[in-house]
Amino acid sequence: MRHPSEGVLRRLVDEPAGVTDADRTHVASCSTCLRELDAVRADAHLVGAALASAGNGTDTDLAWARLSTAAASAPQRRQATAGARPDRWRAAVRRPAVAAMSAVLLLGGAGVAAANDWLPIFKTERVTPVEVTSTELVQVPDLSGYGDVAFTQQPETKQVPDARSAAGFTGLDVPRVTELPGGVTGNPAYEVAGQVGATFTFSAEKAAKAAAAKGEVLPPPPAGLDGSRFRLQAGPALAEVWSQPTGLPTLLVARAVAPTVDSSGVPFETARDYLLSLPGLPDGLAGQLRDLSADGGTLPLPVPAEMVTTSTAGVGGAEATVLTSRNGLFAGVVWVQDGVMTGVAGSLSAGELLRVARGLG
Amino acid sequence: MTVVSSTQFGARRTTADGRRDVVRSRADVRPDLEAVFRSDYARVVGVAARVLGSRDSAEDVAQEVFLAFGRSSVPAGEARGWLTVAATHTALNLLRSGRRRGAREQVADDGLAIVPDVADLVVSRDERRAVRAALSRLPHRQAAALVLRHSGLSYAEVAAALDLSPGSVGTTVRRAESVLLKELNRHASPE
Repeated sequence: MRHPSEGVLRRLVDEPAGVTDADRTHVASCSTCLRELDAVRADAHLVGAALASAGNGTDTDLAWARLSTAAASAPQRRQATAGARPDRWRAAVRRPAVAAMSAVLLLGGAGVAAANDWLPIFKTERVTPVEVTSTELVQVPDLSGYGDVAFTQQPETKQVPDARSAAGFTGLDVPRVTELPGGVTGNPAYEVAGQVGATFTFSAEKAAKAAAAKGEVLPPPPAGLDGSRFRLQAGPALAEVWSQPTGLPTLLVARAVAPTVDSSGVPFETARDYLLSLPGLPDGLAGQLRDLSADGGTLPLPVPAEMVTTSTAGVGGAEATVLTSRNGLFAGVVWVQDGVMTGVAGSLSAGELLRVARGLG
Repeated sequence: MTVVSSTQFGARRTTADGRRDVVRSRADVRPDLEAVFRSDYARVVGVAARVLGSRDSAEDVAQEVFLAFGRSSVPAGEARGWLTVAATHTALNLLRSGRRRGAREQVADDGLAIVPDVADLVVSRDERRAVRAALSRLPHRQAAALVLRHSGLSYAEVAAALDLSPGSVGTTVRRAESVLLKELNRHASPE
């Protein structure tokens, strides 16, 4: 009998009952496997020790008081400004992790994080959860099943001291927030990113494999599609980030040259429509593809519909997409005008963010 | 003062200027939140601390997770698993967002003691930091599988939470451990 895999040995360390009798019997009488099992066990313990942290010292009562305050205050922030000591409490309800997640969500399409990670549809692993739910955290599938993705241009990203430097680096007008929402204070940090580029090369072979994995047969690709290359480009971009003392953002305003896609062979729309016709194409990916166009006029935002509701609203003559997390904890507003994408996000209400968006100077 | 006790979640509150507002309907925050919080808070902080190495950050994550839980309709019987998974994802996101922004002090040492639970395995602070940096570079699912397993979830639970086949959890965890160990060895033996 062949030796069980390392994965089986690893499970044997934790859950012997989860391993088949045949594997267990083999390992018990195989010196090679026993040695390997010892090594796997030692590694597991060492990593466990490295990950462990001091397990005591949490003050549950204090933590509960904090949560009660946050839970009760969160839905009524505007009203809280009328209270006697609003700032302190408003600060308490601005949960940093949520703000960070909203930044990831929005900038996935609109700004510096997009520059870091490129279009999330092509690099889904990085888009990971925008929300803290668990089992329904489906992975947004990526196009690497249908071809090869290569980065051609990695953006330079850095922090710059002020708005003037940000404008100089990116050539973009820096949006000026005329009136900060209550609870957001201080000066923003400025982050900038250069251009990013990636190419996606369609592969009929890969696409056939992806279809076969779903038990389907690939419909014949349109002439010329196999091997066609599509060049994706985005940036430069800049972001203004207002943070809590903990260093996590509460309000974020970002602007970027909108992503565009062009092709060396068949038009991108042909490839897109073909991909959309494929059996078994995951709904999420289909939605993103539908929104990606050659002229940079639409938003390839990876919005997990089960977590975020979208609506539209007018901002300075453009139609903006308004995103609100279903749990009401964060929101964002994104719009495109003249090939430039602007986004405002934070752990604020959509109304507050729309006021910021419409007041940008 | 506006500290609100748990019994006030569904209450009306009078503001300074005399207006009355519905804070939130009782249905919005689940009634068993406090009980679940009190029984699982320390555990959830522990899960997040495993990722972040910092108790302060871990407590922030725990707040976040319980806030979301309070508004969810997760069955009480599944609360513990749900909280563990949510804390893991949230903490990993935080770890990564910290790295993205130039890795400020997300993995900062805020005074964690050397852990005595595995007495003969002493892991230095440098090594802990290196392990977290490596963790932030792992593919999200791999990192999550590792943390969930070390947080006590069964292989079947890890598989369900991450949409992995049960048979591949061991391989995924083992792979993650190998990567992390390389970091540890590198720091343990600089030559």
